[in-house]
Amino acid sequence: MEAPVLDIDPYATDVLKNPYPFHEELRETGPVALIKPHGVYAVGRHVEASEVLNDPVRFTASGGIGIQDIRKPGEFRVPNRLLENDPPSHTNIRGVLSRLLSPIVIRGWREQFESEAKKVVAQIVEMGEFDGVENLAEEYVLRVFPDALGVKLPRKNVLAIGEMRFNQSGPQNELYRIAMEKAQPYLEWFESSTQRENVTPGSISETLFVCEDKGEIEPGIASNMVRSFIGGGTDSTITGIGHTLNLLAQNPDQWAELKANPNKVKSAFEEALRMETPFQVTYRTTTGETELSGVRLEPDTKIGVFLGAANRDPRKWPNPDKFDVSRDTAGIHVGFGVGAHICIGQMIARLEAEAILRAVVEAVDRLEPAGAPRFRPINQMRQLDYLPLRAISG
Amino acid sequence: MPKVTFINPDETRVELEVPVGTSLMRAATAHGLDGIVGDCGGGLTCATCHVLVQEEFLPNTPSMTPNEEQMLDFTAMGRQINSRLSCQLVMTEELDGLTVRIADPQL
Ligand code: HEM
Repeated sequence: MEAPVLDIDPYATDVLKNPYPFHEELRETGPVALIKPHGVYAVGRHVEASEVLNDPVRFTASGGIGIQDIRKPGEFRVPNRLLENDPPSHTNIRGVLSRLLSPIVIRGWREQFESEAKKVVAQIVEMGEFDGVENLAEEYVLRVFPDALGVKLPRKNVLAIGEMRFNQSGPQNELYRIAMEKAQPYLEWFESSTQRENVTPGSISETLFVCEDKGEIEPGIASNMVRSFIGGGTDSTITGIGHTLNLLAQNPDQWAELKANPNKVKSAFEEALRMETPFQVTYRTTTGETELSGVRLEPDTKIGVFLGAANRDPRKWPNPDKFDVSRDTAGIHVGFGVGAHICIGQMIARLEAEAILRAVVEAVDRLEPAGAPRFRPINQMRQLDYLPLRAISG
Repeated sequence: MPKVTFINPDETRVELEVPVGTSLMRAATAHGLDGIVGDCGGGLTCATCHVLVQEEFLPNTPSMTPNEEQMLDFTAMGRQINSRLSCQLVMTEELDGLTVRIADPQL
């Protein structure tokens, strides 16, 4: 069978602001669809999402994880040497990184992360009404994450760079052009912030350069990896924490569940990543002609894996649109990806989320919306822009 | 359905029926065996579902991926000769009767 055609632009601003009707069309059109406006394939069901991400031989990451094929002239950008790469070359770099970001290393940060969380939560309790994005999620992540990795990330710079990179992985639409323009003043900073002389001595980032000296990784990888920490670890975690707060404020019964059992902050975060998946889509490229669930695929063609759609696939999830903090989702939702490239920073994101959410649950009696949340349309992301909340305690 | 015996850190034993295709990590957490944490849900990033496989069963267990090999070095208990991550031990008929000791500590 040839792929059924779907004539919707996933990158139209109204679709980005509310992607769920598109996700449903995608899932119900077939196991794979051809997205007419861009001439790429797309999958939105959980089974096919996993199959594509688990098979680097049929579906390579080397064409880039965005909609453009970065190997083609005119579409080139600096590749991520870990993510936009396949085994076995990927395996070696991943091995070095797994050692530097091992669970033992990450658990060592707990005390620091928890003490900073208490300080940030004291601030929002004092404010009463606050922006869950700027005053809580951004404030917290930018306090703990850069120090843990040994990089310096001024808020304005890192947000502009993030907006550029996650629009750059989409088509060259208006969002892309505006984000590229807005990031211009920060490009030089970004380039230099990933160089050896600008990372913290003794930090994980510096250790990467030491591994490079020892020949464990090729020259150029260390700085490229620092880049990928900044890109992969900042906006995603900020918005994941933001989505959790938003869903808790919208669902007082689920908030009550956390008040009764604060250990559920962990599953609440996973459930929020399922419901409002920060990285909405990642691409692979077909290596040769192949078949996926009975659909014939052309060689050398991009295929978008819509993680957000798979995370609400009713074939996988009973009552998929219900936010339920008691659902067992870790490792089943694909918000952190799946297969060889599964997020290497997931335990960092989880530690940050657990620390800040636990501090909120302990210090706040009621968490309520103080207005309507606003989403920021970004080609690759489901990102909160503004989240007015009210924290009531005592 | 094939059965697996878990030996808890306090030496109590729990026998579970585990459907073919389900990992030991999922089976254990679904039954509330606290000794298995399994924070990352099988993504090979947390190393908190560490078990020691009774040696006669080792030949029947699936071979290790490079990722599991590596993560075993980051277990809290430390790697033993018969260490595995239970998220990678997916139930098969051949594993019926398997006995594993839950490593301690996991965190
Ligand atoms: C809630 C927060 C996060 C989410 C939702 C997330 C999501 C993802 C996803 C979906 C992938 C796989 C992409 C693909 O297969 O195409 C990935 C990979 C990656 N993530 Fe994360 N991530 C998060 C936090 C972090 C953090 C804190 C870091 C910091 C180190 C990080 C670094 C990376 C890296 C380096 C990769 C590439 C891994 C590889 O190619 O082997 N991420 N992430």
